[in-house]
Amino acid sequence: MTHEDLLAEGHSLSRWAQHRFMLLVGATILISLFLVGVALALYASSGTAQLDLSRPGYESVRKQAVRSDTFNGYPSSGAIDKSALDEFRKLYDKQAQQATSVDSFGGAAMSDQTLSIEALPEEQSVAQ
Amino acid sequence: MKRFILLLTAAMLLTAGSLLIVRAAKAQSVPMTEVHIQRIRSNCIDAQSTLNQLHKSDGLLRVNRGQLYESISTKLMAPLNSRITLNKLDGATLVSVTATYENQLEDFRLKYQSYEEAMSRTLKLNCQNQPVAFYDSVGETREKRKLVHDSTVVLQTTIQKYKDEFEVFAKTVQEKTQ
Repeated sequence: MTHEDLLAEGHSLSRWAQHRFMLLVGATILISLFLVGVALALYASSGTAQLDLSRPGYESVRKQAVRSDTFNGYPSSGAIDKSALDEFRKLYDKQAQQATSVDSFGGAAMSDQTLSIEALPEEQSVAQ
Repeated sequence: MKRFILLLTAAMLLTAGSLLIVRAAKAQSVPMTEVHIQRIRSNCIDAQSTLNQLHKSDGLLRVNRGQLYESISTKLMAPLNSRITLNKLDGATLVSVTATYENQLEDFRLKYQSYEEAMSRTLKLNCQNQPVAFYDSVGETREKRKLVHDSTVVLQTTIQKYKDEFEVFAKTVQEKTQ
């Protein structure tokens, strides 16, 4: 096959067929953008975003996150006897104590007074 | 039938109308003075900075508390329930408390998500241009944070309830083996 034959074959192809490689690249980019959009929508709507401490702005608290794999838990198989019950009691008490010892999300941190945006008493009396 | 539908529609409209009126009256119960608005405007940058810090520390708290609550369910309650079943013992009450706990945990997740979204909206507001909107948004966020707090209290109560039921179960097992 000579060079002229190849040129003639190229000219005989349709316009779409001539640019099929660029079409493939374009379609790939479009599909990727669509899938990224779906992934981001799921990331935001599922609540994962709220747990993601790798987001910008969370650098200062990131290292304080506790690793979840440090606690092995209680074996799901085996006999139920006194020692098994004692073992469970010990593990459960430890975790329960951690869970109940802190008053999480208390109200004082967000009060108007803390944020200095409260209405002062004299302002309220003027309003009334 | 048509009459019933008409009556039902009228009742629904009346209820919705009265709810709107109550809400509007509630919103206007404490009118904001110009001095108060000015006070919000002058302090809101500091307030937003405080809220930003709170947002970050709450994110960390959510991760750590969430892991802890989840580990109680998946690494303690579920394995014990499974072990009780394998030993052909009656752990129905413990299973029931675990199911309640799972539902409450899901509720905690949803409430935190709602709170976090409200907080993000508050932080995005230009508080110097929109001091009233900022104040209202802080109020809404505070309410949602309180709901998260309430859900942690409910979870803690259920954790204690599971412990109480476990002690009842343990007593029964020990009485049987003696």
